[in-house]
Amino acid sequence: MGVTPAGKGNGGGWLLVFLAAALLGACGGTDRASETRLSLAETLAGADTAGYERALAPRDFDFPADHGPHPGFRTEWWYVTGNLTSTSGRDFGFQLTIFRSALAPRIPDSRSAWATNQAYMAHFTVTDVSAERFHAYERFARGAVELAGATADPSRVWLEGWTIEGTTSEPFPLRLRAREGDVALDLALEAGKPAVPQGDRGLSQKGPGPGNASYYYSHTRMPAAGTLVVGGDTLAVSGLAWLDREWSTSALSEGQVGWDWFAIQLDDGWDLMAYRLRSADGSTDAWSDAVVVDPLGVPTRLAWGTQIIMESTGTWTSPIDDAVYPSGWRVTVPGHGWSLAVEPRIPDQELDLAFRYWEGAVFVRGTGEGGAPVEGRGYVELTGYAGEAPER
Amino acid sequence: MRLLTKSSLRHLLHHRMQLVLSVVGVALGVAVVLSIDLATRSARTAFQISAETVSGRATHQISSEVGPIDERLVARLRNEPGLRASAPVVEGFASSALLPGQALRILGIDPFSEGAFRPFVVAGPAALDVGSFVTTAGGVVLSAVTAARAGVAVGDSLPVLVAGRSWSLPVIGTLEPTDELTRTGLADVLLMDISGAQDVLDLAGRLTRIDLLVPESADSALLLERIRALLSPGETLATAGTRAATMAGMIDAFDVNLTALSLLALIFGMFLIYNAMTFSVVQRRTLLGRLRALGVTRGEILRVILAEAAWIGVVSSGVGLVLGVLLGRGLVRLVTRTINHLYFAVSVERMQVEPALLVKAAALGLGATLLAALPAALEAASSEPRLAMLRSVREAKSRRMIPRAAAAGVVSIALGSLLVLLPSRSLGLSFAALFFIVGGLALLTPAGALLGMHLSRPVLGRVAGSLGLIASRGLMRSLSRTAPAIAALSVAVSVTVGLGVMIQSFRGTLAEWLDATLSADVYVSLPGPTASRASGTLPPELIASFVAHPDVVGHSTYRGIDIVDGVGAYRLVALALDPRGEETFDFIEGNATTIMRAFQSAEGALVSEPFAFRRRVEVGEGVEVPTPMGPQDLTVLGVFYDYGSDQGAVIVSRELYDRFFDDSGVTSLALFVRAGADSEAVVQDLLTRVPAGTTVVARTNDVLRTASLEVFDRTFEVTAVLRMLAFIVAFVGVLSALMALELERARELGVMRAWGLEPAELRRLVLTQTGLMGLVSGALAVPMGIALSAVMIFVINKRSFGWTLDMQVGPGVLAEALGLALVAALLAGVYPAWRMSKTSPAVALRGE
Repeated sequence: MGVTPAGKGNGGGWLLVFLAAALLGACGGTDRASETRLSLAETLAGADTAGYERALAPRDFDFPADHGPHPGFRTEWWYVTGNLTSTSGRDFGFQLTIFRSALAPRIPDSRSAWATNQAYMAHFTVTDVSAERFHAYERFARGAVELAGATADPSRVWLEGWTIEGTTSEPFPLRLRAREGDVALDLALEAGKPAVPQGDRGLSQKGPGPGNASYYYSHTRMPAAGTLVVGGDTLAVSGLAWLDREWSTSALSEGQVGWDWFAIQLDDGWDLMAYRLRSADGSTDAWSDAVVVDPLGVPTRLAWGTQIIMESTGTWTSPIDDAVYPSGWRVTVPGHGWSLAVEPRIPDQELDLAFRYWEGAVFVRGTGEGGAPVEGRGYVELTGYAGEAPER
Repeated sequence: MRLLTKSSLRHLLHHRMQLVLSVVGVALGVAVVLSIDLATRSARTAFQISAETVSGRATHQISSEVGPIDERLVARLRNEPGLRASAPVVEGFASSALLPGQALRILGIDPFSEGAFRPFVVAGPAALDVGSFVTTAGGVVLSAVTAARAGVAVGDSLPVLVAGRSWSLPVIGTLEPTDELTRTGLADVLLMDISGAQDVLDLAGRLTRIDLLVPESADSALLLERIRALLSPGETLATAGTRAATMAGMIDAFDVNLTALSLLALIFGMFLIYNAMTFSVVQRRTLLGRLRALGVTRGEILRVILAEAAWIGVVSSGVGLVLGVLLGRGLVRLVTRTINHLYFAVSVERMQVEPALLVKAAALGLGATLLAALPAALEAASSEPRLAMLRSVREAKSRRMIPRAAAAGVVSIALGSLLVLLPSRSLGLSFAALFFIVGGLALLTPAGALLGMHLSRPVLGRVAGSLGLIASRGLMRSLSRTAPAIAALSVAVSVTVGLGVMIQSFRGTLAEWLDATLSADVYVSLPGPTASRASGTLPPELIASFVAHPDVVGHSTYRGIDIVDGVGAYRLVALALDPRGEETFDFIEGNATTIMRAFQSAEGALVSEPFAFRRRVEVGEGVEVPTPMGPQDLTVLGVFYDYGSDQGAVIVSRELYDRFFDDSGVTSLALFVRAGADSEAVVQDLLTRVPAGTTVVARTNDVLRTASLEVFDRTFEVTAVLRMLAFIVAFVGVLSALMALELERARELGVMRAWGLEPAELRRLVLTQTGLMGLVSGALAVPMGIALSAVMIFVINKRSFGWTLDMQVGPGVLAEALGLALVAALLAGVYPAWRMSKTSPAVALRGE
């Protein structure tokens, strides 16, 4: 998934804005609450990076340890998205993300089990394509008293009853569980292709200057199977999922206002990850990045604007406040013969939570490797189009 | 009718003094009623607002009757599908040197759980900075107003004392709620992260309660059942506010007592109006007679007199409201102090002047005035044109009334006594009985006064010669006016005596009880947020160090936990009793040795008298006590006298307690000192063993006894103030009645002057008369007062608080009664006597 923070020059950026906004906003959308959101977001996003670890050099990921938490960094997430089909042929998209955010470099001095410097936020969504329904939920908790946390051994990340955990001390097969009201998901995920280190051997530079980067790897094609409860039905489902793991302390550069992130799995076995960091003037930031992964799991980085070209082909207007999102794209990868039309499975997959963004399942059709006709599925995330603009 | 109004106005203006006194009397009565109403209501409201503010929007709460609950319950609840929100809370009390006299409420919350609950946490321009709130060890956020009062700003430290431990807590933010209610509710709150609150309150691993949001729906009953299934024994799930309502209900009896006392002041005020109106009718008898002769109807006269009363009522009520609000500001402090001592910690930031209370007090004032004026108005309207002019008719009528009044008095007293004897516990009934008895006694006073005059005549004749006889006869001749004055003075004094005897008996009983109870030499506890409220537990190493002191030969430990159930609150006490302390308890019945043997071998519980009274339990019966291992049925071994709390206490041996509670805490410690050792020196020595940062209260039994009595005195300050206020109203009444009486005799005295009485002799005559009235009133007031105090001690006190008190009547109280009556009466005579003696006989007689 895409990336990083966008807020301002330093900062744990978006995630912090996410967390802050969400924490505050949880009580409702009054004007006062949004004022508060901003002030809190500023407080959090503006916090000093002193005392945290930084992503400075490429890294040889060490599994399963790196599946676990990196509490020395300010922000981290376990981001799972995927497209599922039921045995009866109904299509669904899902997202289960658990965010971790350090509120301070160190745990405060206390005898209390509640004492912590770690805050967690989680988002759970299900896109019911045939019913044209989008379900989105959020939760918050501190990383203490069993409410939320992450461990490498056993491999487990959880926020209350929402969990992403290995079935043994090994992370895979990975089990995902989340339930909110009448919507529940219980999935087993195989590793599929090996982990793909993003950026320069896992160091994903997001802006100029050392340390303005994250550690980032993905599992781009994980076979998934399990049970989905939605709309009163309990369905056996299977499909493909995508895991993004990323952690950082500060990663942003000036003027980035949001990002468009794409995770696409083609039926011919190829995968594409691409994120476009957007500048305030709408142009593509130089630190945008993309990678294609061949059927065996070998990645190739692409340069934006030349090796990968992306155009928006439509828009969608949020009913909440008339915010306009791009909706539909033409993605071209000339070196591989790709030309793909990317369309949302349903238009409205906006998460109207404490923090607003669009993240949803997409369907892909066009030509793939070598120009052969191909179809595929994927997930797209669009931030910075609605709600409070990341400060300034 | 215009003319009649004019005539009535003219009359009132001519008798300004009388008018002013009436207004003052009723105004004071209204003021006292209103101020008490305002004070108790403010304390209640403050408590409720505070409770509501800190519970926020919670619909339900999980708490435990037996102390804090296990924090791991929160994670279990979060996995309960359908439960929208739950918020853990750690709460406790603290004090700060920067906010003297204020009990501060530490509210420990988890901001991540808060969104739905307490809007003030996350809303508003000065909302929490969650990051620093969670990660600043011991950080506090307080309301901007309180911060300003303490003189601290963000970045400073707030010194706080919790259960004897000193903390210096960094101030990391202030809250400026936009609405008044929240501002009021937050005035005493120190908001902390749950981790810091657990540290400061020594509650690691535990929560005070969990707030829940379970909106009313088809499934909510089912969900609540599922939540209940997760609870451990002792933990309860109740709708939010149940506990606060139970707590607030504890002050009901106290409230009723204060209200009854305040009504007394208004009744004295009514007497004043009655007297003034009767008098003004008597004064105008000639005028009224003429008016009737001229064809003015009875209805018109009735209306004129009632209109006069209504005006007086309106004006006095208005003045009373203003006075009441002012007085209330003072009383609210006294009332709060008592509530803090006896019931729960509350701090009243602002007196709530609710319009409804003002309307109520005004209506009461106006109604009382009209009611008091009714007899006079009827009297004026009913008289025949010619007869109305004759005063002798009225006097003759008054004479005939005396036996009838006395008979009515006897009936009233009998009725009151009957009510007292009813086996009911109703406080309303008790006060009704009290008022019947007081009223009956008042009706009896004219007969008593007449008897007193007769008896005093020979003495007066010898002491004061013919002047004395004239004085006495004069009084007997003008009974229509002297009798109410005497009755009023005696009732006022008797109420003063009654309250005095009651307080004295209470204090005496308490002192004797303290002597018996404080059998150890040194007592050690932790300071609480208010003087009388111990909190927290003593550090075990400190107990060990104290017990090991070479001069300490024995010790008892005491562990108290407050239990709130459906009926009310009480204290469960675990006592590890040193054999030297076995005579501590004074039992209502039964053999103390046998009871204590059973107690020490953990066969059951001892309950305090108020507990037994409130819950209607007797020796041999069972009492159910909640414990972490589920409710336990304990046999009541004995009922002991206890004046420490009106809510009651259940005492079990430590051995019994330890069977059910996983709690080694000790709230206070009683030490027995080697014979010959100086307790005070031991205390000083013990205090040197207390580590820095910890505050322990160690007192010898003398010091503790004195401190307890001081607390008692402070607790009863509000009663004493009311007693004084009631007396002032009565005094004003008597003053006005006697003054009017003497002034009205201007002509009679003028005749005496004309006969050759010297001004000095005249003064003596007047003062002898009022003095005589004072003496008679005082003498009548003594038995009346004692009767009243008996009702208050044995009926009202018992029914309100469950305490048995020894009635103790000291000679001081009796001398006080006589003295008060005499001084009041003499003072009332000074001005008329001076004026009469200055007036020339010619002027005084001009009317002829």
